[in-house]
Amino acid sequence: MAGLTRTAGAFAVTPHKISVCILLQLYAPSAQMSLPFPFSSISQHNRLGLYLLSLTKSCDDIFEPKLEDLINQLREVGEDMDAWLTDHLTNRFSSLTSPDDLLNFFNDMRGILGSLDSGAAQDDQIILDPNSNLGMFVRRCILAFNLLSFEGVCHLFTSIEVYCREAHSSSAQYDESNDNLESLIQHDQMDMEKYIMDKATEEIELQKNASGRVPFHLHTPEALFKVTEGLLVTRKEKSRTNTKKAEATQLACASSSTVDDTLVDESLFLRTNYQIQGFLMEQADAIETHGSSLSSSSIESFLQKLQNLAPELHRVHFLRYLNKLHSDDYFAALENLLRYFDYSAGTEGFDLVLPSTGCSMYGRYEIALLCLGMMHFRFGHPNLALEVLTEAVRVSQQHSNDTCLAYTLAAMSNLLSEMGIASTTSVLGSSYSPVTSTASLLSVQQRVYILLKESLRRADTLKLRRLVASNHLAMAKFELMHVQRPLLSFGPKASVRHKTCPVSVCKEIRLGAHLLSDFSAESSTMTIDGSLSSVWLKDLQKPWGQPVFSQESGSRKSSTFFQFCDHLVSIPGSVSQIIGASYLLRATSWELYGSAPMARINTLVYATLFGDSSSSSDAELAYLKLIQHLALYKGYKDAFAALKIAEEKFLTVSKSKILLLKLQLLHEHALHRGNLKLAQRMCNELGGLASTTMGVDMELKVEASLREARTLLAAKQYSQAANVAHSLFCTCHKFNLQIEKASVLLLLAEIHKKSGNAVLGLPYALASISFCQSFNLDLLKASATLTLAELWLGLGSNHAKRALDLLHGAFPMILGHGGLELRARAYVFEANCYLSDPSFSVSTDFDTVLDSLRQASEELQALEYHELAAEAFYLMAMVYDKVGQLEEREEAATLFKKHITALENPQDEEPKNMA
Amino acid sequence: MVSKESCRNEIRAAIRQLSDRCLYSAAKWAGEQLVGIEQDPSNFTPSNTRFQRGSSSIRRRFSTISTPQPSAGFSQPPATPLPQEEDEVIDGDLYLLAKSYFDCREYRRASHVLRDQMSNKSLFLRCYALYLAGEKRKEEEMIELEGPLGKSDAINRELVSLERELSALKRTGAIDSFGLYLYGVVLKEKGNESLARASLVESVNSYPWNWSAWSELQSLCTSIEILNSLNLNSHWMKEFFLGSAYQELRMHGESLAKYEYLQGIFSFSNYIQAQTAKAQYSLREFDQVEIMFEDLLRNDPYRVEDMDLYSNVLYAKEACAALSFLAHKVFLTDKYRPESCCIVGNYYSLKGQHEKAVMYFRRALKLNKKYLSAWTLMGHEYVEMKNTSAAVDAYRRAVDVNPCDYRAWYGLGQAYEMMGMPFYALHYFRKSIFFLPNDSRLWIAMAKCYQSEQLHMLEEAIKCYKRAVNCGDTEGIALNQLAKLHQKLGRNEEAAFYFEKDLERMDAEGLEGPNMFEALVFLATHLKTNKKFDEAEVYCTRLLDYSGPEKEKAKSLLRGIRMAQTDFPSMDMEHFPL
Repeated sequence: MAGLTRTAGAFAVTPHKISVCILLQLYAPSAQMSLPFPFSSISQHNRLGLYLLSLTKSCDDIFEPKLEDLINQLREVGEDMDAWLTDHLTNRFSSLTSPDDLLNFFNDMRGILGSLDSGAAQDDQIILDPNSNLGMFVRRCILAFNLLSFEGVCHLFTSIEVYCREAHSSSAQYDESNDNLESLIQHDQMDMEKYIMDKATEEIELQKNASGRVPFHLHTPEALFKVTEGLLVTRKEKSRTNTKKAEATQLACASSSTVDDTLVDESLFLRTNYQIQGFLMEQADAIETHGSSLSSSSIESFLQKLQNLAPELHRVHFLRYLNKLHSDDYFAALENLLRYFDYSAGTEGFDLVLPSTGCSMYGRYEIALLCLGMMHFRFGHPNLALEVLTEAVRVSQQHSNDTCLAYTLAAMSNLLSEMGIASTTSVLGSSYSPVTSTASLLSVQQRVYILLKESLRRADTLKLRRLVASNHLAMAKFELMHVQRPLLSFGPKASVRHKTCPVSVCKEIRLGAHLLSDFSAESSTMTIDGSLSSVWLKDLQKPWGQPVFSQESGSRKSSTFFQFCDHLVSIPGSVSQIIGASYLLRATSWELYGSAPMARINTLVYATLFGDSSSSSDAELAYLKLIQHLALYKGYKDAFAALKIAEEKFLTVSKSKILLLKLQLLHEHALHRGNLKLAQRMCNELGGLASTTMGVDMELKVEASLREARTLLAAKQYSQAANVAHSLFCTCHKFNLQIEKASVLLLLAEIHKKSGNAVLGLPYALASISFCQSFNLDLLKASATLTLAELWLGLGSNHAKRALDLLHGAFPMILGHGGLELRARAYVFEANCYLSDPSFSVSTDFDTVLDSLRQASEELQALEYHELAAEAFYLMAMVYDKVGQLEEREEAATLFKKHITALENPQDEEPKNMA
Repeated sequence: MVSKESCRNEIRAAIRQLSDRCLYSAAKWAGEQLVGIEQDPSNFTPSNTRFQRGSSSIRRRFSTISTPQPSAGFSQPPATPLPQEEDEVIDGDLYLLAKSYFDCREYRRASHVLRDQMSNKSLFLRCYALYLAGEKRKEEEMIELEGPLGKSDAINRELVSLERELSALKRTGAIDSFGLYLYGVVLKEKGNESLARASLVESVNSYPWNWSAWSELQSLCTSIEILNSLNLNSHWMKEFFLGSAYQELRMHGESLAKYEYLQGIFSFSNYIQAQTAKAQYSLREFDQVEIMFEDLLRNDPYRVEDMDLYSNVLYAKEACAALSFLAHKVFLTDKYRPESCCIVGNYYSLKGQHEKAVMYFRRALKLNKKYLSAWTLMGHEYVEMKNTSAAVDAYRRAVDVNPCDYRAWYGLGQAYEMMGMPFYALHYFRKSIFFLPNDSRLWIAMAKCYQSEQLHMLEEAIKCYKRAVNCGDTEGIALNQLAKLHQKLGRNEEAAFYFEKDLERMDAEGLEGPNMFEALVFLATHLKTNKKFDEAEVYCTRLLDYSGPEKEKAKSLLRGIRMAQTDFPSMDMEHFPL
């Protein structure tokens, strides 16, 4: 706690700042001269000025360049007088032989400043306006030096020695290369008037540049940055990469090695609080974005260093918690989380988020509870998490911290919706909070809804844009998955519409994304802490021209994206994460509604635009979706190739879903190829992933038993398959998983169809269709319709007409959005229908049948779906036989044989992609 | 058993050698032990009796219990021969000068004087002076460079060169045991613990009388495994070492046994007495500890070490006057010792002046940032002042200084419980119980947490209370609570069992009070509903001895019993007509 109160924004004199001061002295010597001594032209002089300006602006950066880097930069800037500049710099440093010299140096510095009432200065004198950027810098340096105690001066003196010693070895080699001092001396006198005008316009320009920014001038303005960079490029060749540029890129990758390198100098210059906080924030972002692919030990080591340097900086513990969280170290994460909150009472780092709620003497332990709850959630202890979050609700109510309450409620609803908790009465019932206690009578889903609503309401009144946005997204997710009906309805049931409404889902998603367009209000308070003085967030305060998502209309035009791309740089990570999440959610909703292209486009948008800023788990999800899409629409070969790439990228992510996807794909593949043993094995592995404990989410559990039933079905063990499916249905019912119910019903219909019990299958198929209708699951409905038609046909060939009608009704959906398998099935079935229709004559209409069969066989070959392919070829051969095309018949027959043999001995071609 | 005379001779020589090398604290320690050895009655001179305390009656009372028979010791190990001092005529003059500089705390000057001297003794003194100079500068820098976020990275700048020189010497074998000691210290400072341990072990094996080396070694033994893995020659100094190491590892019984053994030789050692008191304090034998400290102070009235422990005892016994006397005395002796500040803090705390107490604890911590008990005590003060977040901060610092400090963990739990976060607090209680599983108070605190209305996890509370009962709950909360909880959950049988047990306890301790009435009423009603009228009557009649509403209740119960009793025989008659 003490850390924050003590000289928060200190500005310390460092050797680097002294070198800038020396250069400033050169730039504006106090002597009366139109053009100071070494400069040969005004442009040269201006060039140095611009360079100095950029240096002063970046001097609040956490990493200060070494003398060597500075000399190299000077060499670029100074053109032919570089040797003179560097010599002067090093000589000036070597002339500082005692602390007294430092004192004199800063006294001299005072001379280059003009008096405050500017205008009194003579025309031919170059003086720094004390209110200009450079003048301000000099004044700050002088002030900071004057505040130093004698010991402080001594320490500065020793650090200067080290600073020079480091550079000494490297600078020696350059000395002989450009030794043309003489030529420099012959500088031509320039027209004075012109110079002064130049000077004036320059000053105005600079002022203009500066005025739009924060008063602190902490960011290197983009324009200026470019100017300096342009200067540098004009030099023959860039011997070294510009350090600034390196810094800029380094933020993006935040590679641990650079962190390590630069932290070595840290021992020399202990930064101000703001700088370190900003740095830590950046590291926290990096941990989240890169997940555990970032080596946790390297982060640990620099945290250790930082802690040694600044034991009162408690954020280190929080960062360590994040790091441990991402490397799945439960005990260390818990320990560090608790330690952080014990030390800082939750007021360090978080305090600037909520300036309105004055920090009470009680501290902010409710935030600790919130974090702890989320940690338990992540580590798979939902009950514990719920308990902690309930306490968080209580404590934040007690301390009337509405912000925290809103976040807690959101976290709680997230927890409840993701974990299959059948009954929470035992937990929530005991709580005293009005929010949760009213909910004790309701089902989990209803409670989620209430929590979300509450959270949304609070967030709205508190203007927490991010939370509002993510709540909207959660709401969209909820509406997507659950039947919307009035809570606690006592009226007649007839009035209740059992439907999810795509319009409202869409509205929520849009609301979520749109709200973020004016995020600046919240984000500025959020990031003030630290980022102010750090270069990497330099664009944060950029005036936000127009909202990104200005178009309300449904069709998103590509122009939005480009516009968006332009601004992407300036959006804080968390905001772009939420926007990205909205795209992912859109993709998911389209997936469910059954529009493959829309789903794909949204995922692609996410992967291309938000890939950099997204958290690793979100990025992984996008990849998963794309791979799934590939498998469905392009066959397994491409999917496996893509999977390999994704695996390399994401396998280190904790709670990785890649493994799950791999098992799914392998299982699917094995089923299609008729390799039941392999399928069974995959199924068992899936079951292993989905253990019966509470921590595993329902999605996975449902998936595992769904696949088990399908494997059993493929093995023709109908009764067992039906049993599994039944119990799965019961589970889905218990946990209120409506969408899954629809697909389980469809599976049951399939089972009955395959077992030849078409009459039994019919009600299931119909039920599935009605479920699909109420949830707007168009694609699933189409496939259910197909099954229904198949069942009708199974009842006898006299129903062929009706089956065909049904099929044709579903055809547009199937062909437009269905995957390979579904389409092939539809085609084969169509042929079957025609063939079994007694009113259909093969000899006259054989083209219709052959067309669909050909289509089907192509798609099935891509899928390697041997069973159905064999059937298609068989039918084809029969048709060819009927119409007397013997050659084609033979061809179809051989293909038929090939697929049949492949189906019968699946072992001899083990998939090469097996891990 | 080592003979007292040989011990005495060894120590005498060692003190000379140690103070020759300016290892003053080790010399001081050795000196204390020297006069702690019981004198032979043969050369008993009046001047020696000053240090003998056989006359103390209290002392006799305790020493008779504990002193083992001297003959029952282990067989005499091969004695480590005392190293003979090398002849130092040549560099003797310079050495004398350097030593006087050293004594005047002019360390750099001392090391400069010895820059070209090659003898072992000069070498050691030069390195040692250099090390101390570096330490001094480090502490100054620490204050000079203190940034807004705490201390800077001030380091002892001599360490690197010292390590280089000493490791070179070690390689060539030209290093004596004192050099090894210094090498160990340097290595420890540089964070190379295993090497440091090895070097220190080598040092104490060749020269066991350097207590500083032993204590450095002890601070490196953070677990019993490490301690057992050390390859130490047996020597009576090793017993001292083991005693203090066991104490640090919370093995108080073993440590007490060691000290009892050592008392056979060093029967008048203040050090051993203080250490024994420390161990007894950890075993919560406050009365005994108080007597020991009184005795200690009588013999060594200007002692400041360990007096904070004494003040804790006085605090626990709420002896205001004695505590103020102690504080006054210690303050006159040395005001700027962390112990003195801590004692004053305790005094103010007992007086209820918590702000002042915090001020003195702060001062103690300023003097020694790693002073564990001051952090914890300051946490207690903040709790009293209802400044929970400050309390939490203080406790957490204590825990980070020593993660085994169960008091601080307990304090953390308490603070969070105060803030209405019982679930969060549970984690801390669990931690504290982990380090002290046999303390009923901790179990009761945890049970209360579970029982709180926010959590209402009664089953877990019952489990905790059961553990508390098993640990020998002295305050009698657990049994009563167990009974009540069972009653609340409708398990009357269990409730009756625990009420009965509680009643037994209260009878044994001769206590009376509302708990007793409650137990009696419950038992009477319970037995009555279970038709055990005779036993119910016994409890009812016991209740009749007291006045108040319970008496009325008992009367009505008795009436009911009579009624039931008269009813029943008639029913029996119907069933079994004679």
